[in-house]
Amino acid sequence: MAIVFDGVTKAFPDGTVALQALDLAFEPGEFLVLLGPSGSGKTTACRLLAGLERPTTGRILVEGRDVTDLPPRLRGMGMVFQNYALYSHKSVYENIAYPLRIRKMPAAELDRCVRAMAELLEITRYLDRRPSQLSGGQAQRVAVARALVWQPSLCLMDEPLSNLDALLRLHMRTELKRLHRELKKTFVFVTHDQEEAMTLATRVAVLREGALIQYDDPREIYRRPATRFIAEFIGRPAMNTFDGNVRDGVFHASGFTCRLPGKPDGPIVLGIRPEQIQLVDASASDAIRFAVDVVEPVEPDVLIFAKSEANALIVRTANDDRAYDPGQPLYLRFPPAALHTFNAISGARLP
Amino acid sequence: MIDQSSNRAWKSFAWAVLLVTVVIALTPYVWMVLASFKNRVDLLSSVPKWSFTPTHANYPAVFIDKEYWPLAINSVLISVSSTVLCIVIGAPAAYGFARSDFPGKEDLFFFFLTTRMAPPISIAVPLFLFFTSLGLIDTIYAVVIAHTSFNLSLVVWMMRGFFAEIPREIDEAAMMDGRSRLGAFLFVVAPLAAPGIGATAVLCFILSWNEFLYAFILVAFDGRPLTVGIPGLVTPHGTLWGQVAAVAIVATLPIVLFTFLVQKQLVRGLTFGAVKG
Repeated sequence: MAIVFDGVTKAFPDGTVALQALDLAFEPGEFLVLLGPSGSGKTTACRLLAGLERPTTGRILVEGRDVTDLPPRLRGMGMVFQNYALYSHKSVYENIAYPLRIRKMPAAELDRCVRAMAELLEITRYLDRRPSQLSGGQAQRVAVARALVWQPSLCLMDEPLSNLDALLRLHMRTELKRLHRELKKTFVFVTHDQEEAMTLATRVAVLREGALIQYDDPREIYRRPATRFIAEFIGRPAMNTFDGNVRDGVFHASGFTCRLPGKPDGPIVLGIRPEQIQLVDASASDAIRFAVDVVEPVEPDVLIFAKSEANALIVRTANDDRAYDPGQPLYLRFPPAALHTFNAISGARLP
Repeated sequence: MIDQSSNRAWKSFAWAVLLVTVVIALTPYVWMVLASFKNRVDLLSSVPKWSFTPTHANYPAVFIDKEYWPLAINSVLISVSSTVLCIVIGAPAAYGFARSDFPGKEDLFFFFLTTRMAPPISIAVPLFLFFTSLGLIDTIYAVVIAHTSFNLSLVVWMMRGFFAEIPREIDEAAMMDGRSRLGAFLFVVAPLAAPGIGATAVLCFILSWNEFLYAFILVAFDGRPLTVGIPGLVTPHGTLWGQVAAVAIVATLPIVLFTFLVQKQLVRGLTFGAVKG
C-alpha cells in the first residue's frame, strides 16, 4: 500500500476529536475522495496528509516511509485550497511559477513548465493578470496549476469546487477528471458533495464524526451503503428510509405495510431509492398507497414527494409531472431486490 | 428646495468648523516658523509682530556656532534604529499572535498594551537606574532601546490585525509550494502585509523622532536628539527663542513633509484589509 493512515487520531486543544483512530490506505494513481458532512474530519484528514497538522497519535506512511513528522515542504505534495489562496501581489504567471522558483529551476525550463501547465488548464491568456482580476473559475484553475506545476506525486484538494457556481462546478469537475487521467497522479479530494464524490472517485472514503464508516468503490457505496447514514447521504435525492417492525415476514410502518420475507421479527429500518420505486395501478396486488404532496419537475425526470401518515418518501420517475395533483392517491410498488435493511439502533446494514 | 438650502447651511457650518480647527491647529506652527526668522527685538516685542524684516541668523547661530547639527544626526540614528528594531522584533511577534494559539495568548496580548498605559514618567527613574547599571547611560543605545520598548507594543497591536486579514491558507499554500514556516512568513506573508508594515514603521518613526522625555533623562551630551537640544537654549541669560524656533523647525519639517508625501500610502496601510486571495 502506498499511502497509509495508521491509527491516526487528531484531537484539537479545545477538546474536539476531529479524527478517531483512522485506518485508511490507497494506491498511487487513485482518485480518492474523502466524503462527509461538515465536522466529519475529512478536511482534517487532508491537512494531516499535507503536513499542515500533526496527528495526536498514529502514523502516516507514504511509500513505506513514515512522514508523520515531516513539514509540508518535504512531503512532495501539492494542494488546492477552497478559497484558492493565490498570492495577490504576484501575477498569475508568478503564482504558477512560485513552487519552481523555490526549487531554483533554471529560467528556460521554468518558463516551459509554467506555459505547459497553463496550456493544460486553458489559462494561458490570463498569465499576465493579477489574481484579483480573475473570476472564481479562473482563480481555481490557477490554484490547480500551481499545485501541479512542479509534478508532485500527490495532489490534495480541499473542497476546491465549493466556491464556484453550479455550472462552473460541473465544468471544473469534468476538467479535474480529465486532468487526473492525463497526469496519472494521485488525487485526494475532500468534499461534502456526494455527487462530486460519485462522479470523480476511484474510491470513496465516507467519514462521519471522525470515523471511517465506508471505504469502497463509488458504485458499491451507492448499491450497498454500509449504514443508514450513508444511504440517506448518497444519491440524488437520497434513499427513502422508514422505521418500522417486522412481523411474520411483513414490514409494518406508520401508514403502510410491505412484504419483507426472511427477516426476523422486531424493529428494523427499511430503505429504497427514489428511482427504484415503481408507480403501479390501484389494482396491483402489492400496491402501497401514499398521497401526493409536492411535485417537482427536475427535467427530464419528476420528483414526487408523497406522504402516508407519519411517513414521507420521494419517487423519481420519468412520467409527466402534470399527471399528479397534490392530495391524489399514489400507488407504489417496492421491488424486493431494491430493498435495503438496516439495524434499527446501530444503523448498520443487515445482510 | 428646502433640502437644498438646509444642505447648503450644513455645508457652510462644516466649513466653518474646519476652518476654526485648522486655524487653531496651525497658528502655533506658523508662529514658530515666523519666530525662527525674527531677531531678538522682534521676538520680544510686547505686541506680536506679523510683519518684520526676516533674519537668517538664528539657524547658523544654533546649528554651527552652538554645534547643534550632530543632534539632527542623532535624531535620525535613534528614530531609524528603533523603527527597524521595532519592525524586526514586532512583526514576527504580531504574526505569532495572529496565527498560533497558546494558553494565555489574549492575556499576554493585553499585557503588551498595558505597558503603554502607565504614565511615561513613572518608569523614567527605573529606566535611568537600569541603563546606568548597564553602562549605557548617556549613549544613543539607551534611547534606542527605550523607544523600541515603548513602540513595540504599538507594532504588535497594529500588525496583529494586518496579519489576521491575510487568510491562513496563504501561509499554507506557500508551505505546500515548498517554503518553511519562516520562509512563508518572510517571502509571502510579509510582502503581502507590506502596506501595513510601512504604515506602522512611519508611526514608529514619528513617535521616536518626536519623543522628548526618555531621551532627556537618558542622555545629556553626545547622544542628544534635537528634541533634547531645545531645553539647552533656555539659558540663565534668557531663552533664545529664535534659536528654539529654528531647532523646532528643523526637527518638525522633515516629518511634516514626509507625512504629506506618504499620506495616501499611510491611510491605505492603516485601513489595510483589501488583501483577497
